[in-house]
Amino acid sequence: MSWISMLTPVQWALFSLIPAGIILLYFLKLRREPVQIPSTFLWARTVEDLHVNSLFQRIRKNLLLFLQLLAILLAAFALLSPGFRGERSNFGRTIYLIDTSASMMADDVDDAENRFEAARKQIRERIDTMPSSDTAMLITFSDRSEVMQSYTGDRAKLRDALNRVQLTNRTTDIYGALKAADGLANPRRSSTMGDTADIQVADAMNADLVIYSDGGFPDVSEFNVGNLAPTYIRIGSDDVENVGIVAFTADRNIETPDEVKAYGTVVNYGKLAQSFTLSLYVNGQWRDSTGVQLDPGEESGISFPLTGQEDAASIEIRLENEDDLPYQDALPLDNVAYAGLRPMRTVSVLLITEGNRPMEVGMSTANAKKMSIVDVQPTSYLDSEEYAARASSGLDDLIVYDRCQPKDMPATNTFFIGALPSNEWEWTSDPGQVLLIDSDRTHPLMRYLELYSLLIFEGRSVKGPEGTQELLASDSGAVLSLAPREGFQDLVLAFEIISTDDEGNLLTNTNWFSERSWPVFLLNVLRHLAGAADESAAGTFRPGETVRLRVASELPEVDIARGSGTPETVMTGSNGFIQFVDTDAPGVYQVTSSEGDEQELVEMFCINLFSSLESNVKPRQNFDLGYEAIQAEGTTERRMEYWRWLLLIVLLVLAGEWWLYNHRIA
Amino acid sequence: MGMSATTEPTELLSPSLLAKLERLELVSRKVFKGRMKGERRSKRKGESVEFADFRNYVPGDDLRLIDWNLYARLDQLFLKLFQEEQDLHIYALIDCSESMNFSEPSKLHVAKQLAAAIGYIGLCRADRVSVQALGSQGRSAPVLRGRGGLWQLLQYVDSIESGDNLSLHDGIKDFSLRNSGTGVVVLISDLMDKDGFDSALRMLIGRRMDVYVMHVLSPEEIDPPLQGDRRLIDSEDGDETEITINAFVLKKYQETLESFIGSIKSFCSRRSISYLPVRTDQGVEDVMTRYLRERGVVR
Repeated sequence: MSWISMLTPVQWALFSLIPAGIILLYFLKLRREPVQIPSTFLWARTVEDLHVNSLFQRIRKNLLLFLQLLAILLAAFALLSPGFRGERSNFGRTIYLIDTSASMMADDVDDAENRFEAARKQIRERIDTMPSSDTAMLITFSDRSEVMQSYTGDRAKLRDALNRVQLTNRTTDIYGALKAADGLANPRRSSTMGDTADIQVADAMNADLVIYSDGGFPDVSEFNVGNLAPTYIRIGSDDVENVGIVAFTADRNIETPDEVKAYGTVVNYGKLAQSFTLSLYVNGQWRDSTGVQLDPGEESGISFPLTGQEDAASIEIRLENEDDLPYQDALPLDNVAYAGLRPMRTVSVLLITEGNRPMEVGMSTANAKKMSIVDVQPTSYLDSEEYAARASSGLDDLIVYDRCQPKDMPATNTFFIGALPSNEWEWTSDPGQVLLIDSDRTHPLMRYLELYSLLIFEGRSVKGPEGTQELLASDSGAVLSLAPREGFQDLVLAFEIISTDDEGNLLTNTNWFSERSWPVFLLNVLRHLAGAADESAAGTFRPGETVRLRVASELPEVDIARGSGTPETVMTGSNGFIQFVDTDAPGVYQVTSSEGDEQELVEMFCINLFSSLESNVKPRQNFDLGYEAIQAEGTTERRMEYWRWLLLIVLLVLAGEWWLYNHRIA
Repeated sequence: MGMSATTEPTELLSPSLLAKLERLELVSRKVFKGRMKGERRSKRKGESVEFADFRNYVPGDDLRLIDWNLYARLDQLFLKLFQEEQDLHIYALIDCSESMNFSEPSKLHVAKQLAAAIGYIGLCRADRVSVQALGSQGRSAPVLRGRGGLWQLLQYVDSIESGDNLSLHDGIKDFSLRNSGTGVVVLISDLMDKDGFDSALRMLIGRRMDVYVMHVLSPEEIDPPLQGDRRLIDSEDGDETEITINAFVLKKYQETLESFIGSIKSFCSRRSISYLPVRTDQGVEDVMTRYLRERGVVR
C-alpha cells in the first residue's frame, strides 16, 4: 500500500478546517424540528441534567455528526490516493525514454490519437502514481535525444516536461538517449579498468530504464546496460497497415537537360495486399498517375518521364486512393515524397587579365549573367593579400587566368588561357599557327561547339599531368585540355585570345570571339567547369537534419522557404556555405536571393522521411541492447488505485447520513 | 339503569362498564359526617337496621327508638341506637389544562371517563357526587345524588373542554373556596405543573379531605417517540426547549420521569394520599374494575 498525496500542505491545512467547521456548525446552526408536546416540564428537567456534561455527550452520541466526519475522513483518504502497484520501481529512480520519431505517428492504438500520445499517457500515469520518495527523468529520442527533465521527485515538473515533448517527423536513433541515461547510472572510470589506483568517484545510480517505443530503430550493439534495468514498453499493434515511399528522386538527362526522369520506390509494410494510385505533381500541378498493386512485404520501383522541364521545379509524388484522395494508412507521412530539380547555380568567377574584351563580353551575355557573377581584376591582383585569401579559401567557383600564372594553385577550378597552371604541365610544341583537327564533342564543355572555322594565329600544344583529357586537338597536339587536380579541374587553352605585342599593343590572336561558338563555349565553361549546372537533382535530407548548402559567396543572405511558406532569412557563411536547421517538415525547400526587387532561385533541397525503419511501422517484439535482448513487456502494470472506491463509500455514507437525518426528523 | 346507559352519551362509559360499576363502592378511609342518610355507615348513630348501642332515654328523644323489650325486662327506658348510614361527598376533579389534551385517546378523555365512572359509583351508593373541572368550567358543575343524576353527570363531563391553563395550585384553590365540606377527592391530572403539585395537594389535605390522585400519563410521555434535533414547544405556555434527542437523552428522560413519579409517590404516602398512576392506553374498564380494586380504592 502506498500513498500519494494529491494536495499540498497548504491545501491539507485548508482541508482540515472542514471537519472543524462541521463540528462548529453543528452547534451553531442546528436545524431543530419544532414539535409540540404536552409539557416541556420533564424535558426541561432532563436538559438541565444534561447540561452538566452535555458538550461531550452530544458529540459522542450523535450519529449524524459521526457520519459526516466519517465521510470527510474517507475523502481525506481518497485524496491521499492509496493504491497498490504490482511492479514498483526497485531503485526509486526511473528513466523514461519516449520515442518521438515519425513511426510513433501511427494511429494503430486504441485509446489515443497515435502511438506517441499513448506512450505519453502511459508515462503520465506512471508519473501520477510515482511515490513521493522516487525520482524520475525524462528523455526523448528521435534522430537525436533530449533530456527534457533531469532526475526530480517533483511530479509537476515531470508532467510539465512531458507536456513539452513533441512528436517529430524524424528518424530514430536511441543510442544518444541511452548514453544520456547511462551517464548517471554507470559512472566511468577516468582510466582503464584494472587500474587499482583509480578510484571511482561517483556512486553508481541504479535506475529503471523504461523505453516507450515501437522499436523502429537499429539494434544498439555498443552499449552496456550496467546498472540500468531496461524495460521495453512496446507501443502499437501487430495488425497495422502501412505503405511507404522509401525513395524518390528526379534527375535531368545530362545529354538533354529538358528531359527529366522521376523514379522512386514504394513498399507495402502491412499484412494485406494494397492497391493505390501514385500521382506525380510538378509545381503543384498534376502530371501523371499510375496504378500500383503491392502484396504484403512487396516493393515496387516506379518511374515517370517528364519532358520540356527546363526550369527548376519541385516534384511531388503522392499515394492516392481510387477517388484521388490521399491514401489512408497508419503513417500518412511517408505517403508523399518530394524531389527538386535544381536551377542553374549562380557561380562566382574571377577573371584575371590585362585586358580581354572578348572574354568580358562573352561572360556578360544574358544567359551568362543569369548564372554567374564575374569579377575582373588585373594581373597585379595576384600579388594582393585579398587574392591570396580568395584563392586559398576557394571562394570563387572558377578563376580564369588570362596569360598569367599564380604562384600557388587556388582551391577551385581554373581556366588558363595561354598559360600553364603548374610544373606538371608543359608545352609540347613551339609557338606557331595551329590548325584544329578534332574536338571531343561528347564532353559537356565542348557541347554545341562548331570550331573548324577557327583561325588561330599563334598557338602551342600542351600536355598535362596524368588523367588529362584532350578536348581540342590541333595538328601539333592538344590545344584544350582538362586535368583533374585534388578534386578540382584545370582547363588549359593553349592559345591566347588577345595577345600583347612587344610594344604593348593588344592584338587578336584568333577569330573565335567573332564566332557563334565563343559565347556557347563560355556558357559551357560556366555551367560545367564553374559548376553552374552541377547535379540537377536537388539534395534530399531527412527531417531534422541540418542542411548544409553552398551558394554563391557573393550573396550576403538568402531566404529559405518550404513550398509557399514564410521564408526564413539565413546569413551566408564565409565560404558561401549556409546552414539550415528548421527542417522538420517534409517538402521542397527553395533557397532564393533577392537582389533589389528580383527574387532569384539559387538552390533547392528536399526533406523526405525515406526510412524503411520508420515506414515499417509494425512494432518490434524485441531489440538488442548490448548483449541483452530486451523483450517487449506490453504495458507496465498500472498502480491499483482505490480512491474511486473510497469516494463511492463517501457517497454511501452521505446517503446514509441523509436518510438517517430525514428518518429522525420525520 | 340499562336504559340510561343507552340513552346517555356512551363514549364516556359503556353499558357493560356501568353495570359493573353499579356493584362497586368507593372506599373512604375516613368516615365523614353527611347531611342526609345514605348507604354509608357514619359515626353518627341513628336510624338504620344495624344495631349500634343503647343509651338512656332523655326527654325529647324519639319515642319510636325506645327499646320496649328492654323496658319490660329492666323497667328502664333505653333508646336502641342503630348505626346510621350516611351519604358521602365525592368530588372528582378533572385537570383540563392543555397538556391533558394529548395522545390518543387524550389524557383528558381518559380523565373524563375515570371521573364519570367514579361519579357513577358514588351515584349508585347514594353519595353526593360532584364531578368538576378545575378552573372556570368547574363553577357550573352540578352536585348530584342518586342514579338519576347520571344523565346530568355525563352531560356535564362531556361538555368539559381543555384549555383552562391555570396551575394546579390555582385550580385547587378555586375548588376549595367553592366547596367547604369534607369528603373524598379524586384528583385526575397529569401533574405536569411547573409550579409543582405539592401545594395543591397540601391544600386538599388541609381541608381534611380523603385525597386520591389519579396520575394520568400517556404512553408518549412514558416512552417518547422522539429522535434527533428538536425544538420542543410547551402546549400550555409555549415554552421552548431545544434538545438533541438520542438514546442517551432518552435514558436521561426516563430517569427524570421516574424520579418525578417517585417524588409524587413519596409525597403522597407520607400524607396518606392514594397515588394511582394511570396510563391512557390502559382502558377505563380495566382501571375501574381491576386496577383500582387491586389497589383497594373500590370494593
